[in-house]
Amino acid sequence: MSANPFHLAWFGAGGFGVKSWNKTWSGRGGRDWASPQLWVDIAQALERARFDYIIIEDSSYVPDAYGSNSKAYLSSATATPKMDPTVLAPIMSHLTSRIGIVPTLSVTEYHPYMLARKINTLDHMSNGRTGWNIVTSSSHRAAQNYGKDLLEEHDLRYDIADEFFDVSCRLWESWDADAVTLDADHGVWADYEKVHTIDFEGKFFKVRGPLNAPQSPQGRPVFTQAGGSARGKQFAARTANSVISGVEGGPAAMKRFRDDIRAQATGYGRDPDDVKVLFMASPVVGETDEEAQAKRARQVAFAEAHPELGLLHLSRHSGIDFAQFPLDEPIPDTAKTNGHQQMLAQAIGKTPREFLRKSLSTMEFVGSPDTVAAKMEEVMAEVGGDGFLIANFDLNRRYVSEIADGLVPALQRRGLTRTEYTHSRFRDNLLEF
Amino acid sequence: MSTPPFHLAWFTSFTAPAWRSTFGGDTGTEWMTGEYYVSMARQLERAGFDFMMFEDSTMVSEALGGTMEQDLKHSLHSPKLDPFPLLPILARATKHMGFIATGSTSFYSPYILARVMATMDHLTGGRVGWNIVTSSEDIAAQNYGMDALPPHDERYDIAEEFVQVVKALWDSWEPGAIVMNRETGHYADHTKVHRIDYRGKYHASRGPLNMPAGPQGHPVLCQAGGSPKGRDFAAKHANAIVATNPNVEKMAAYRADIRERAARHGRNPDDVKVLFHAAPIIAETTEEAHAAYQRVFGMDDPLQIEQTLAMTAAVTEIDFFQYDLDAPMPQDLKTNGHQSVLDDFMKRNEGKTLRESLGERLRLGPLLVGTVSEVADQMEDIVTRVGGDGFLIRAETGLSHTRRYIDEICSGLAPELRRRGLIRSDYPNDLFKQNLLQF
Ligand SMILES: Cc1cc2nc3c(=O)[nH]c(=O)nc-3n(C[C@H](O)[C@H](O)[C@H](O)COP(=O)(O)O)c2cc1C
Ligand SMILES: Cc1cc2nc3c(=O)[nH]c(=O)nc-3n(C[C@H](O)[C@H](O)[C@H](O)COP(=O)(O)O)c2cc1C
Repeated sequence: MSANPFHLAWFGAGGFGVKSWNKTWSGRGGRDWASPQLWVDIAQALERARFDYIIIEDSSYVPDAYGSNSKAYLSSATATPKMDPTVLAPIMSHLTSRIGIVPTLSVTEYHPYMLARKINTLDHMSNGRTGWNIVTSSSHRAAQNYGKDLLEEHDLRYDIADEFFDVSCRLWESWDADAVTLDADHGVWADYEKVHTIDFEGKFFKVRGPLNAPQSPQGRPVFTQAGGSARGKQFAARTANSVISGVEGGPAAMKRFRDDIRAQATGYGRDPDDVKVLFMASPVVGETDEEAQAKRARQVAFAEAHPELGLLHLSRHSGIDFAQFPLDEPIPDTAKTNGHQQMLAQAIGKTPREFLRKSLSTMEFVGSPDTVAAKMEEVMAEVGGDGFLIANFDLNRRYVSEIADGLVPALQRRGLTRTEYTHSRFRDNLLEF
Repeated sequence: MSTPPFHLAWFTSFTAPAWRSTFGGDTGTEWMTGEYYVSMARQLERAGFDFMMFEDSTMVSEALGGTMEQDLKHSLHSPKLDPFPLLPILARATKHMGFIATGSTSFYSPYILARVMATMDHLTGGRVGWNIVTSSEDIAAQNYGMDALPPHDERYDIAEEFVQVVKALWDSWEPGAIVMNRETGHYADHTKVHRIDYRGKYHASRGPLNMPAGPQGHPVLCQAGGSPKGRDFAAKHANAIVATNPNVEKMAAYRADIRERAARHGRNPDDVKVLFHAAPIIAETTEEAHAAYQRVFGMDDPLQIEQTLAMTAAVTEIDFFQYDLDAPMPQDLKTNGHQSVLDDFMKRNEGKTLRESLGERLRLGPLLVGTVSEVADQMEDIVTRVGGDGFLIRAETGLSHTRRYIDEICSGLAPELRRRGLIRSDYPNDLFKQNLLQF
């Protein structure tokens, strides 16, 4: 069965922080992480491969969930250090010309006016290639850095997000598209009758407006969102141009997820084709199938030998100290979280070790570029669309090149991914097919 | 004895340059990509500037006439893009010069500000600074959910806590926290990374920052306090203080006051550089320069009068349209905005008409008009009488901020100053702060 053309995007897992630093191909990764160069190289490679966009993941705290202190995270440079994505994004867009650049910003950490202004500036500077990965945050630790005692409750965060989104859109549209008149004869730069206060008063925010800058090339940025819970998916279906998903359970579950998002989007009066659902994938590509499998076997062996490295993530996202559960006893169903609900739900009943093994084995794409391209086509044919979000947690330039210069040409030869950008703006390209 | 060298910096916003000037080119819209400022930064660095500073505000002003018309017509306070995303690009296009962005202690969260500045410090190899402002317009506050700003002096109490949190966050990773031990697999040593557990009256933050501070540790801090409370705050924290005064004796008094306050806070006064606004008008001949001065500051052009009125109204939150242009300057106005700016404006122009006052108001700094060598003489004289530390060049938005004006300063004035040994001829240090404090 053949699939329709689909989209490729990249997830900059771990954000603007330390990528691979102590492995064979790490290079100077431990030292040079604070330079934007790796990200510039990645963006340029992905543009060469005609990716739609790259997300810069983010969170703003030093985790201490595992083992109740920050030791494990700082030792392994997991989720920290992490620098501000709004500073990195303009450099990436300045040194590329077509790919979409998507920083992550949290609705529980920013004020809407400040966020709307930053995104508007980035969209102007990138000439219409900016996105916003909308997150609600999931850790009390982040909230405490911002003067709160605790993070708001899970579903309430999405109520805040809904209102935040609405205020931001109003700000982005507070200048009519033709407000800048540049009438030199009368000395009129902009026509004030085309610039409007928004006078927004909601449950969480009160904003007068207008924004103090004109509408940017895209007006609104491209919205990406990763809600996995019922409430999160509802928000994503209402707002996102691209939903990014780490759903487990293979193609059948992926299809259910996508169908659900599309149905809910339709319910909000949206064209479901305006919501591209991209699925996380970490292809392992080698010169031959055997080499790729051997590489994968080494990765699995490493992960099994260091279960704590995997549990660090689970602890940070759920806010639960997984160091307290014996590795080989089932996680009790009394475990609760105010963090990522979906992840915890998937863990309960399994032993920590089993859970890790399971998350290691979701949707494997291992082989030569041709083998992986064929597998991706098969999966997309079954799911229905809309593409993949490539991520690798031990990121180095070699991996990027394997994808951009190995896998993507194989996909392009099959007519599965784009060979040119049709439009100059990010949203137009994303919604082209 | 020859005059010791002084510092040059440039003051601007991320806004539309002089789009309707004869030499405005396509800058009316082109500026939004940032390219205009990129080429400007390269020129300033060639000329030996210490830094480029971006002021900021987040409002479309309605101070004049109660509508947004004047502000938007003359592109005064708006449009203004966020300067933070621009800095990394400017820094990439240059190697040595410093860049300062303005961030308001009334609107930012300290954690975000600390993180953004530290990130920029890494990205630029230690070449950024933060201009600390408390903001002074209620209409901006209303964009952030407040009805009005706190009263003037309380804004500085809030700013004081804000700066304490930010500094503590920058210090939350000890030097040497990153150990990178391949054998044990330790990237960073958690015993060298500390919570800050700050709980003040206005701000709280647990910390630590989720990244180590940049090469400068604390980026350059810049401030422009004019009131006693503002000056004291500036003298306590800032490395660069920027001020506006057309009168050389008052410039000298301001600098002396700042240095005294700095000493009282236990600082070396030489660690605080006071730079004064200057908008030199330079031309091929003295006559041409005076003709240019008249065009820019003469207040003959109705559009320009309107623009200057609007500008003044917006900072002072006083609607100057209600006053007769040719009657004496009123002397009893009150504002919750920049009161020191308003007081100064009234006092300085006692007896003058509003129209006469506007030209000087627009000029902001001392009179600097003439050929390259005449203006260099004037600057040398002023800096000698003031005692230091340099000038903050400003081409008033909407009037002379064109590529041509920038070039007059960078290719005309600066080389002359350099020939006289009055400004730097190189950047001997890697870090912005080191260069700024070099002399
Ligand atoms: C691909 C992907 C990327 C994500 N990126 C971020 C991120 O950068 N920052 C963040 O705080 N959360 C991130 N999340 C978490 C999601 O925003 C969301 O909270 C999570 O998927 C759980 O869904 P829920 O909020 O509906 O419970 C990401 C999740 C996924 C699947
Ligand atoms: C050179 C200069 C630059 C300034 N830049 C800004 C700015 O970018 N944003 C802002 O809100 N205020 C700015 N201000 C205002 C000052 O922060 C300060 O509020 C003003 O000088 C009045 O002093 P006071 O706050 O002590 O009353 C600037 C002032 C001067 C003199």
